[in-house]
Amino acid sequence: MAKKFRITNNIRKLRFFADEMTQQELAEKAGISRQTVIAIEAGKYSPSLELAFRIADAFGVNITDVFDYETKTEIRGGKA
Amino acid sequence: MAAYCIYAFGKVQSGMIAPDDMKFWATTILIFIGIGVIASIVIQIVFHLLLSIAIAVRKQMQEGKCDDKEVEKTIEQEMVEDEMDKLIGLKSIRIGFAIAGIGLIATLVSLLLNYSSAVMLNIIFISFSIGTSVEGVTQLYFYRRGV
Repeated sequence: MAKKFRITNNIRKLRFFADEMTQQELAEKAGISRQTVIAIEAGKYSPSLELAFRIADAFGVNITDVFDYETKTEIRGGKA
Repeated sequence: MAAYCIYAFGKVQSGMIAPDDMKFWATTILIFIGIGVIASIVIQIVFHLLLSIAIAVRKQMQEGKCDDKEVEKTIEQEMVEDEMDKLIGLKSIRIGFAIAGIGLIATLVSLLLNYSSAVMLNIIFISFSIGTSVEGVTQLYFYRRGV
């Protein structure tokens, strides 16, 4: 049995509720490139704690409303 | 690098230059390093020009007008270097230098096996060139797959 950790995010949903904020607008607010926003949104990159706070700040919400921490336990190839 | 191989090894094979003529190899390598540096600067300038033109055309088509300051602002936004870019850069440099390091060890092995100094010089130059190319390819890979 091995534990796997994964960081998920609600950026797409939050952008929608923020009057369909574009990725470029979010990038400008968080001080990052649009490519990084795309990567984070797609779960291809886990941002640093500082950047995670900046993204949460851009939406005006708590960091836990943007990012979530999932724990998965894998049992011999299967997932639990 | 392909141009270097064709030029240098072609000259040696034609018999114009002795294979262990170190001055020839040093001159050729220095010239090709210079060509590489100039080529990369030219490519960057051309890329920036094309990017500016593309942004200006897109703005013209979308909004019907195009301002120089707006184009500059868009380029600045596109060129922001953040933590992901730095991380990708560091990871690819590590891989590139690993290849260069392997080349250095191969050089020492070649000396142990009594190969000429010209072979040593070529292995170092080629391994560093391959390392740089792999660094670029790795950067692309990390941007596509994620870090």
